Amino acid sequence: MKNFLTLSVTSFIFSVVLWVLWHFLDSHVLFLAGKGGFFYLPHAARVLCIVYFGYRAIPALYLGELVGPYVLEAGLYSFSTLIPSLISVMSVPFALSFLNILGFTLGETRTSPLNRRNYKHIFLITFISAGFNALIVNLYMSRNNLSFPNAITDIEQVYRFLIGDLLGTIIVFIFLAMLLIPVLRQARS
Amino acid sequence: MREFYKNISDALAMLDGLEKDLNLRHLTPNELKVFYTIIVRSECNKFGSNISDIVENSGMSRSTVYKTLKKLSLEGIIKLHQSEEDGRESLVILNN
Repeated sequence: MKNFLTLSVTSFIFSVVLWVLWHFLDSHVLFLAGKGGFFYLPHAARVLCIVYFGYRAIPALYLGELVGPYVLEAGLYSFSTLIPSLISVMSVPFALSFLNILGFTLGETRTSPLNRRNYKHIFLITFISAGFNALIVNLYMSRNNLSFPNAITDIEQVYRFLIGDLLGTIIVFIFLAMLLIPVLRQARS
Repeated sequence: MREFYKNISDALAMLDGLEKDLNLRHLTPNELKVFYTIIVRSECNKFGSNISDIVENSGMSRSTVYKTLKKLSLEGIIKLHQSEEDGRESLVILNN
């Protein structure tokens, strides 16, 4: 129970912090304004928390996804994001199940088909989950005639979602690796 | 709680691999001078260069050279081992 609380608080804070950072860059930084779709940072929280903490991180991540558009910047979207946010969070478990079906089970040793200590394997999970997220969310939006402000739900949006989730996750990973260099060095010694 | 730390340690291992492959670590100009000296010296002596040679050829102070050697050794760029001829002397070898 204590572990569940710790991982839930960590996942929630990580998700909200990344959303706030992304929203700030998207709306306040001049040369990035309006281009936030191409570097969606919060996808890194979904991937990292579900891969390392397991499915128990899903409720906290889902709450974290909702805090942005419902509490911090209420009225940001003209439609309910309850279902799209759930699909986005679930895209990582979908990717893990998909890889599991193909025989790539997630483990933590060199012999595991998918090693969570290997960043290349994490990028594979990121890529597949970004694909699921882009396809399913846009399918849901087009079926319900929903669209983001100043955007049309079309194939370009699918591509933007895919690139955005991938680039956003890569940016967060590199930023974390640079930020944690002293910690990593100490651990190595 | 132990499980939580284990998960965080796995995430750090993943970031460590990324950091190593992207070569995000950096060396200061003085450290680079010492490093280049080691590379040049290693061409002259395949069995490793002694620290006094590196101090002399790099033009850096002994303490800067020692600090740099410790850093490079921690990064896994060089290896330090004892000389067979003189047990008091350490030889510096580049890691492959």
